[in-house]
Amino acid sequence: MNKLKYVGHPVTRIDSLEKVTGSAQFVDDIDFGPNLLYAEIIESTFAHAIIKNIETSSAERVPDVVKVFTGKDFPYKFGLYMKDRFIFAQDRVRFIGEQVAAVVARNPKAAKIAAKLVKVEYEPLPEVLDQMEALKEDSILIHPDLGDYPHVPWFFPKANTNVAHWRKTRRGNIEKGFEEADVILEDTYTVPRYSHCAIETHVAVGKFDYSGRLTVWASSQSPNVQRNLFSEALSPLGLSHKDIRVITPHVGGGFGGKAGVTMEIMVAAIATKLKGNSVKIRWTREQEFYNTYQRLGVIAKITLGAKKDGTITALDHKLYWDAGAYVEYGANVVNAVGLSATGPYRIANISIDSACVYTNLPPGGPYRGFGYSEFLFGLESHIDRVAKKLGIEPVLFRRINAIKEGDTLAYGAKMNANGLLQAIEKVSKEIKWYEGKIESEDPVKVIGKGFSIFWKAPAMPPNASSSAFLKFNEDASINILVSGMDIGQGYLTVMAQIAAEILSIPPSRIRVERPDTDRNPYEWQTVASHVTWSCGNAVKKAALDAREQIYDLIERTHYLDRDTIYLEDEKVKSRTKPDFELALKDFVINGIQVEDGTFKGGPITGRGTFMPEFTSTDADPETSQGGHPNVHYTVGAAAVILQIDKETGKMKVLKVVEAVDAGKAINPDLVKGQVTGGLMQGLATVLYEDMRFDNKGKMLNPNFTDYKIPTSMDIPDEIVPIIIEVPQPDGPFGARGIGEHTMLPAAPMIANAIEDALGIRIKSMPITAEKVALAILKKGEK
Amino acid sequence: MPVIQGFEYFKPKTLNEALHLLSNNRGQASILAGGTDIVVQFKEDLITSKALIDIKGITELSKIEIKEDKLFIGACVTFTDLIESELIKNKFPIIWEASKTVGSVGIRNRATMVGNICSAVPSADSAPALLVYEALVILKNKDGERLVPISDWFIAPKKTGIQKDEIVVGILIHIPKKKYACCYEKLSRYEGEDLAQAGIGILAFEDHYYRIAFCAVGPIPTRAPKLEQFLNGKKITSPIIEEAKKILLEEITPITDIRSSRKYRIHMVKLMFERGLKKVISRLEGGKDA
Amino acid sequence: MPEIQFTLNGERRTVNIEANDILLDVLRDKLGIKSPKCGCDRGDCGACAVLLNGKSVRSCLIFAIEVNEQEITTLEGISKNELSPLQQAFINNNSFQCGYCAPGIIITATELLNKNPHPTREEVKENLSGNLCRCTGYIPIIEAVLEASKRGKNE
Ligand code: FES
Ligand code: FES
Repeated sequence: MNKLKYVGHPVTRIDSLEKVTGSAQFVDDIDFGPNLLYAEIIESTFAHAIIKNIETSSAERVPDVVKVFTGKDFPYKFGLYMKDRFIFAQDRVRFIGEQVAAVVARNPKAAKIAAKLVKVEYEPLPEVLDQMEALKEDSILIHPDLGDYPHVPWFFPKANTNVAHWRKTRRGNIEKGFEEADVILEDTYTVPRYSHCAIETHVAVGKFDYSGRLTVWASSQSPNVQRNLFSEALSPLGLSHKDIRVITPHVGGGFGGKAGVTMEIMVAAIATKLKGNSVKIRWTREQEFYNTYQRLGVIAKITLGAKKDGTITALDHKLYWDAGAYVEYGANVVNAVGLSATGPYRIANISIDSACVYTNLPPGGPYRGFGYSEFLFGLESHIDRVAKKLGIEPVLFRRINAIKEGDTLAYGAKMNANGLLQAIEKVSKEIKWYEGKIESEDPVKVIGKGFSIFWKAPAMPPNASSSAFLKFNEDASINILVSGMDIGQGYLTVMAQIAAEILSIPPSRIRVERPDTDRNPYEWQTVASHVTWSCGNAVKKAALDAREQIYDLIERTHYLDRDTIYLEDEKVKSRTKPDFELALKDFVINGIQVEDGTFKGGPITGRGTFMPEFTSTDADPETSQGGHPNVHYTVGAAAVILQIDKETGKMKVLKVVEAVDAGKAINPDLVKGQVTGGLMQGLATVLYEDMRFDNKGKMLNPNFTDYKIPTSMDIPDEIVPIIIEVPQPDGPFGARGIGEHTMLPAAPMIANAIEDALGIRIKSMPITAEKVALAILKKGEK
Repeated sequence: MPVIQGFEYFKPKTLNEALHLLSNNRGQASILAGGTDIVVQFKEDLITSKALIDIKGITELSKIEIKEDKLFIGACVTFTDLIESELIKNKFPIIWEASKTVGSVGIRNRATMVGNICSAVPSADSAPALLVYEALVILKNKDGERLVPISDWFIAPKKTGIQKDEIVVGILIHIPKKKYACCYEKLSRYEGEDLAQAGIGILAFEDHYYRIAFCAVGPIPTRAPKLEQFLNGKKITSPIIEEAKKILLEEITPITDIRSSRKYRIHMVKLMFERGLKKVISRLEGGKDA
Repeated sequence: MPEIQFTLNGERRTVNIEANDILLDVLRDKLGIKSPKCGCDRGDCGACAVLLNGKSVRSCLIFAIEVNEQEITTLEGISKNELSPLQQAFINNNSFQCGYCAPGIIITATELLNKNPHPTREEVKENLSGNLCRCTGYIPIIEAVLEASKRGKNE
């Protein structure tokens, strides 16, 4: 391949001017005119209860109130992978904060006043707040009708229990594997729930016009999924996909929290009953905490066996997930982990059980990392401990067992090309892993080092796909239409770079349009770190399609062999005729005039679609063998130098190094941005954040005053990002996704560094200063 | 989040005018200075006042000045004003130090020290500093003025000694005559803006007399009389500190809440006391911070 | 409905409000000034920061009526002419991802650089500590402020 001009270069983001001038328009910034209505939501005050009665008449009498809606108005179910949710609670509520009714008013004050007047009468039921309790045979059932819920074929709900899905993966012979082991270690690790904390909360506006078209403006990662689920849920009203339009302007952070459909379903539904008006719901920060997806909590029991030479012989990994009241999306997190909880290791004998358990807490759902951060906390902690037991240096132990291209995965398919060993090597070198302990100059402080490796595959339906349209303008600038979402990662810029490379138009002359389902072609969702790879392929194909049309035309009008022509600097050039040169702007719309004075050609427009055609979820439910559920894994390694105050427990990250195998970094600066931001988000989950619930299931800290996300003063002293590039054969220019991966190693490497520094192993997250200080005190007491 | 409580807004230019407004709206009025606490309370529907009296138009309340041997901090003086005041930085270092730990710039540009003690949350950062200076709260109503020692000011969480017809005009601090050094130590969950999980103010005179005060380790911020009594007259040595730490435990009643456990609070207060005391002694001796 | 007048981005503006209207809502919904964002509505995140008489404040914690006869500057005001060195440095350093925090952060940093044209790294960190950003990990933002501080006036 020729030298790349745009791909692989730190091109300036194409949305930069909009964002630094405050011009970037988010949903709440759009003006909807005087017909805009505001909805205020009445929420369940019980974690589990039967709704006896809802009294709305006093609310309806408040001036400027238009209407009050309850579950009776919308007796419809919805859900992405399993239809277990309701637009508004029907006969029962299942978590505190669940939507029970909505007051719609002409102004926000009236809506708030009236909402206080809606009286809901409940008959409380016992609540189940813990997944181990919910698993017990005599537990109260959260979804008595579970057996009737429609779901995707790769889920296995157990009717008359609280188990929404149970993914089993079996390979080799687990008993034999443990027999062969010289060392076996068994332990349990706990990870609580977390919140995404995008700084923009969910906002959605719905409008149903008099002709019966529904338009929804949403802060969303998933416009097409939204349209699909709206049309499914509202199909009793006769709405088909073409009648629904979802528009997603700039999104103020997603991290998985704005994937799928959550509160947006309410504006879609309410709008259909208030023709001609727009209806807005803007989640408060509190609601953002307790009524969108939360990251699932997990209790993971790990048994790992290894031989003296360092070979891992067997892994038994049992994960019990606190998936919350509705699992239409969260169950797929559980599924993904059930297929991949070996971590990036070659293990012959495997048993994985990943159980999705309903509880009366807010719905669990996608969160950057999709379950991998959670299981890696336990697994990568455990790896360090087993290495220690074997007397093998922990990084060496990882290298011995690191998965390689062609190794068999837990579900039987083969591992893709990857740079795991390179990543391990580069990280160890940069962090000076083998250069021994660092002594603190301050006697009160100690310093430890921690290491972790990681992997993750996109978790998608086997036929998740992307598509792109590309159109030239008169001056040869380009508009690209796609339906992936720039949630901050820089996706629009990356798409522009890919098209730029093929068509020789600089990215600064390319606009990539944000999704509008009326205008832009289909994209599954912006999740799973797959859009660079999947939509990148679609854009590349669209650009190639356009280029072919250009070559056709040149061949037809200038009688040049297409194999001899190429694009450079926005011109068509010829290898055989050095003085031939034709500027794209001279013909991409208006064609080329030929000898007889007529014109040939016409507007150049490209089209590209991409769908992986080798994936399948058809597998044996007892073993998960037989299918090919994942497209590929992205791998990497990271290490940290951590300083701990032995008295206060306060920790400071002095240095952190992370290497991630991007296949090809289309924009290295943006990859580095993901490393810095992702690592910080990962460090936050281990060092600071902590979601608290009382014994009735009420979240106690739904605000930034008490759910602490890091500030500019809580950052590591130094972050070193390292990009590894072992190409992904089916990726655009060899690229694969890295967005989620950057946060994966944070928690276990901190736990490992703490053990290194203090000899204390902490097996539950978060690992706050308080937890460390109390552990040190306890150790001292012994 | 809209505010649904309706009220009439007044912005008096003089204190007298404000006091009249207050008395005319008997019990139905709230005072507005920086607003960083009260606006949140309005949003959460915790306030039912029918009148809001904004005192930021009363120029005399924005003053930081020395009158005779006393420092006056007006009710509208913000934490930023305090941090930017050379007088505060040089002469009242613990006030300066405590002010810097409050919120962040955007809050400190607006929030006032008087507002902080009027909100009277157990974690009020201003309280330990004012307690060790034995500050006086100046209250006025239509009929006159009274001074309340800060140690009598806090009555219960979010409850102070103010009467409904009174306005806090400011704080008065006697400039200590003897040479002294002081510091404020704050426990927070992270380095950025956070509420105190525990706070301790220490002031030591060169003749070995001490004043110590806490916040966030009991229902109200308080002085530590037993601890002070024990330390007074003594030179600080390691055995003395160890002994003092035991007495300290009798002075505090920390609780477990979502921000911190009782156990950790106790552990940290002892540690902060020790570190703070050493720092103060070192400062007193003209040395660098320990 | 009371009427207030104030200077908004250099222009005299008059608007009818209710006494309990919040400044952030009035700026956004009645005056079309959309750069200040709502991230928490209680003073915790800094996304709603504006300059009030040159000082950064949280517009979610101020009643609109309080700014009668005062002077407000938002990112719209800063962006009227060419990009400030700070805005340019934001672009150079990829200092935003989703960009939702950017208006508040640029406002806060503008105040800092006006007061203290050559801050240290620690001062920058301390000054920005009330502005939450979930995307970037702050490092590129700090770099941008330091870069801008080397280039002089930011208004
Ligand atoms: S919205 Fe004002 S500080 Fe968060
Ligand atoms: S760039 Fe997204 S919050 Fe800062």
